[in-house]
Formats: sequence, structure tokens, C-alpha cells
Amino acid sequence: MKLIEVQNNQMFKIDDIRFTGKEEFRDTIAELMLNGSRLISLTPVDPDNPKKIFAALTDKNFSVIYLSGCDFNGSALEYESFANDFPQTNYFECELAENYGIMPLNHPWLRPVRKQNVIMGNIPYHFFQLKGEEVHEVAVGPIHAGVIEPGHFRFQCHGELVYNLEINLGYQHRGVEKLFLQLNSDQRIILSESIAGDTALGHAFAHCHAIESLSNIQLSLRAKVIRTVAAEIERVAMHLSGLGGIANDVGFALPSASYGRLRTLAINSLALICGSRFGRGLFVYGGVRYDIDNEIKNSVMENLNTILNDVRQVNDYMFSSVGALSRFEETGIVSKDLAQSIGLVGLAARSSGLEEDVRINFPYSAYRYNPVSMITLSTGDVFARARLRALEIDETLRFIIEQLENLPEGEIKAGSGKTVPGSAVISMIEGWRGEIVHSVFTDSEGKLMNYKIKDPSFNNWYGLSLALRETGISDFPLCNKSFDLSYAGHDL
Amino acid sequence: MKDAIKIRILQGDPVIHDVKNASLPKLFRGLPVIEDKPCLTGCTSCAEICPTNAIKLNPVSIDIGLCVFCPLCEEACPEKLIHFTNDYNTASEVREKLIVTNKTKSITPEKASEKIRNYFGRSLKLRQISAGGCNGCELELNALGNVNFDMGRYGIEFVASPRHADGIVITGPITENMSKAVEICFDAVPNPKIIILVGTCAISCGIFKNSTKLQRKFLNENKIDLFIPGCPPHPLTFINGLLDWLDK
Repeated sequence: MKLIEVQNNQMFKIDDIRFTGKEEFRDTIAELMLNGSRLISLTPVDPDNPKKIFAALTDKNFSVIYLSGCDFNGSALEYESFANDFPQTNYFECELAENYGIMPLNHPWLRPVRKQNVIMGNIPYHFFQLKGEEVHEVAVGPIHAGVIEPGHFRFQCHGELVYNLEINLGYQHRGVEKLFLQLNSDQRIILSESIAGDTALGHAFAHCHAIESLSNIQLSLRAKVIRTVAAEIERVAMHLSGLGGIANDVGFALPSASYGRLRTLAINSLALICGSRFGRGLFVYGGVRYDIDNEIKNSVMENLNTILNDVRQVNDYMFSSVGALSRFEETGIVSKDLAQSIGLVGLAARSSGLEEDVRINFPYSAYRYNPVSMITLSTGDVFARARLRALEIDETLRFIIEQLENLPEGEIKAGSGKTVPGSAVISMIEGWRGEIVHSVFTDSEGKLMNYKIKDPSFNNWYGLSLALRETGISDFPLCNKSFDLSYAGHDL
Repeated sequence: MKDAIKIRILQGDPVIHDVKNASLPKLFRGLPVIEDKPCLTGCTSCAEICPTNAIKLNPVSIDIGLCVFCPLCEEACPEKLIHFTNDYNTASEVREKLIVTNKTKSITPEKASEKIRNYFGRSLKLRQISAGGCNGCELELNALGNVNFDMGRYGIEFVASPRHADGIVITGPITENMSKAVEICFDAVPNPKIIILVGTCAISCGIFKNSTKLQRKFLNENKIDLFIPGCPPHPLTFINGLLDWLDK
């Protein structure tokens, strides 16, 4: 059977998707996953009328996205769950069930995604509980000790060791996907910057790409380079923030303070470019709002060179400390096989040895002309996730400085266009955490009909949960920080 | 040991010593100013383009409690009457003061009552609650503790337990799912206690105005002591707002 293949950011007609019966849909998806594809989107085409569902799977070896559809055709809104054979689909199926009441039959563990204590609309849900004499339960959240977002963690412990960690989120749910359909174009960009405020540029990037593809807008090379430079500065800033948090969680004050200082330099560079320390306001449809002139370029370069020089020395200091390494190494391990089967993405996947990087596997924007290197580590522990950040900062700074030194000439903003009716696009971006996917569908008038967002945190929270198994409960803050996932991005 | 000293030397003196007179980049969008000139007859460009309906016409005013500090109105005005300055002093103790007109030159909070200054003037411990915040405001509040802003030197700090706190700081538009937690947390703070709203979402929902997943009952039932506008507010907005309010 011939499948529809598209590339990252390639517009396609909704009518071209082949909607088959449940059996054929199941066989198609199962075969793709058996051959190493990963599910990135599972959603009805029209949320108001969820009788047809759409699935997108990526094959990183061929840089293609496979599209498949299922038409329930009047029969009950249920299908045989994939999750028993392919754990990566587990959470996608829970989400589909929660949002639209589409039931995955024989699902191994149907859990709430953004609701509390209830599944399938009204069936009471109870946390998994371990029973026995030496067993105890620890409940944390939704409000945590630090200045961070809310979420509930339920640990089942056997002595000091965590037997199971259940993560219950949804406290941040603001109804972002629905809002996208109601707002006008100026508002939508601002909303995309607020999906996850720490990845403002990543999500704005994905959103702009989606809309630009749907309205056939071509960008100048200069605009593309400015976009990628800004997005990479965001990556540097958040990796520094992550390293600072990891150092802080093992009580290592000096590196923590140094990473904090360097992060300020990185986000102040974004403020030099566009006035916001998080890059808000930079992205517009068709390009960027602010140009980088020589004065700004020189100030930014100065900041980046300071970071480049200092961060290497701070890294050497931290990663040669026996005390710090003893906390990092062999803590919170996710093996390569496990990472593959649960479908980890981004930084966490690369730390476990998976070659998952949208910038390289599905190149977009300026990465098509100026590639970055794939960096992977194999141990999948806190050390790998921390060390990978350090290595990526180095590579990313090299990329940014090279781009700024060779900034192409051109306009920074292209004209606007209208979104094409009856079409859809899958827009993938490598945010600093990992793969961001925006799947956008338009109706017969060209208005947005469905806006589906997948933050990398959606894949990776389950990874944190599994990393904690057989790990001391006192290592939880450290493991959590090493993943550094978004609550808002997950809850939407 | 030698390496530690090397790192410490690299660190230099990164502290912003004079937080009241620090300068921000030209492009930073802080307090907007509206020139005292008449608009083009019938022009409604700024009000129309404003993504959060923060602009009222005749005369033009911008509610920075609603504003997300995007530059759309600045770009839309044919007469260039609206301009965002890099003035980060925008905190206020009353909601009404956040409405910027062509008369507004600066916004600073009035001194708090003597009672509040006596209680909290020397030491203020705050419990932060993120209730739907996107992590933008949260990151800026975290930045207050770093070596650049070092808010602890003024006796203002974030604490883990509401029992140890003198008040709460709310970020985010207050989602339905967090509304109960906000109430429980505030109840756990001993009296007297204050409430500070940080960021446009907390003050007015901002871009989430039309969301059906919010529950803001708590804000109607309690007196808000300080508003810190911004999307997200710059750390200096927060520090200076509190220092002015506590008269420090």
C-alpha cells in the first residue's frame, strides 16, 4: 500500500490523506512503528466532529513524515490500542481518549493527561498504589518548593528507593489549542510565545513555519539566519540555566552562580536584538521584526565570546569535581532501548544514545544550508544529560558566531499571504528540550480548523518517571532538573 | 582550590549595585509614552491592532495591566505618537494607575502603609505560586536570586513553605485546575499577609482573556497589594517596585 509522505513544513491537502478502516489503519501504523518510525501526532482532523483521526509518524533515516488516517465510519469511537506493543503511543492514546472520548481498547494503563482523578470524562481514577509493610507513599505538589510551575508527583517507595513515580499534570491547562482557532494572526504569534515561556522562540518558530507553509510565504535567507541565531541563543541560555540548576541541586554553589551569570549574558543578548530577554516580538509571519545591525552584532558577539571562554572553564571545574560526578554518574538511567521504545526526543534521547535532532534529521530554515553536528552520549544518566548540555553549548556558540560573521544580505520580512483552504502542515522544530510539533489544519474557507501542539515534554515526562525507578528518592530533584521539562508546554 | 579561585576571578563583580539607575537596552519595551498631540481624525489603528484590547481611544490610553508589551501599536500609529521607553519602573499599588495616558510620565507605587512597612520593611519572605504561568515570569523571578540582581541583599526572598511567608506572588492567569491550590496556599500564610500579582496574565489574563479554563474568583475576594506588569516583567521592575513600595 502506498503511503503519503511529506517533508517537514510541506503543505498537503487534507483530501490526499487516505482514511481507511480500523483494521487497515492498525496494520499500517504498526508496520511503520515496527520499522522504527515514531508517532508525532494523533488527532482528529476536525475537533468538532472527531469521526476521522489522523496520525503522523516520522522516519528519521529518510527525513520523511508518513501520514495515515482512520475513518470510524459510523462505528463506535474505539480502536485496538497500540500501546501494548509500542509503549511510545501510550500517552498519545490517553490524550485522544481524554479530549475526544475515543477509546483505545485494551490500553495497558489509561491515565488522565490534563485532568485530575478522572478518565474518559467521568470514570474515577486512582493513583497506582504499592502495598506492603515496608512501603510508603510520598505526595509532592502541585505547588513545589522552588519558583517553578505546578505539577503533582506521587512516589511509591520501598525504603529509600522509588518503586514507581506517577506524574499527574494539567494544572497549567489554559486551553491554548482552542484559543489558536479563535484569535487573529497578530494574537496567535503572541500566544505561540506563551505556550511555554522558556521556549518562546521555539514555539513561535514552529507556529510561523506552519502558517507560512499554509500561505506559501517564502523567507529571505537573512530572515532565516536571524531566526536560527535567536533560537540558538535561546538554547544556550536554557542549557546554561539547566546546568546552573543541576549544580545547585548538588549544592555546588560556585558553578551554579557562574552559569547564572553567563545565562544573563545570553538572554541580555536576545534583549539587544529584539527588546525582550526571551525573544518575544522577534518573529512575524514572513520573517523577523528586527534586523541585526553592526552595533548590535558586535555587542552580541562580545557577550557570546565571554560565554564561550568562561563556560569552558566552569565546565572543566564542575565536571572534574569528584563530589559532583559521584552524584551525576549512574543516577536516573534511561537505557537506549528504553528511550527508543517510549519515544524520547531531544536532549534526553541524545543523552541515551538516540540520534534524535530535528535540525539534522528534518533540516529546516537556515540549518538546511548551515548544518549543526549531532552530539550523542550513551550512558543516559544525569551525567549524560548535564554533559550533553555543556557540549551543545560549545557547538551552538560555534554555529551562532559563524552565522553572525557571515550574515547574508536581504530583506528581513516577506509579504503576507492567505492560508490555503482544505490543507494541512506538520511543522517540526528542535527546541532546546527537543522536538516541537505543530500540526495545523484549515477548513474549506482557509480558516484554522485544528491546531495540535506537541511539546517535547509530552514525550519526555514519561522518561523522567521511568528514570526514577530503583533510584533513591533523594535524587529526584537532580533527575528532574536534568530533564528540565515544561509543565505549561505539556498542559497547553 | 586553585581552579575554584580562577572561576571566582572570572566571575568578577557581576552585581548590579545601583538597581535604581541601571540602564536597559534601547529596544527594551518598558513604560509606553503617548505624545500629547491630537490623533489623525478617525484613526483607530492602535486600538484595532492591540492583541489584548489594552488601548482605549479619545483620548488614547494604554492599560499596561493588559498590555503584553509587543510593539504592534507603536508600529501601527501613523503619527508615531506611541513609543515604548526602556523605563522599567512600572509597578503600582493600585490597578487604575496602570492606565497610561498622554499625561503619564512615570509610574511608581505609593509608599505602603506604616503598618506594612513596620512589618515587612526589613525582611519580606514571599511564596510564589505559578497558576498557569508559562515559565516566563517564573524564570524572571528566579533570576532575582542570581548574582546579577541578588535581591536577597534587600531582605526580600522567596521561601519554600507558605508557613514561612509574609505573602504570595501569583504568576499566570489562574487556571481552573490551580484555583483551589492558590486558595489553600494563601490560607496557610500567617496574618498579616500581602498579595502581589506578577505579569500581565496574573493582572488581567492578557492573551488568555478568552480562555474558558480560568477561574479568577480568588482575585475578586482578596485585596491585591502590588501589581507588577510586564510580559514577563524585567527583574528590575520587580525589585524597584518592591523597594519603592516598602520605601527602601
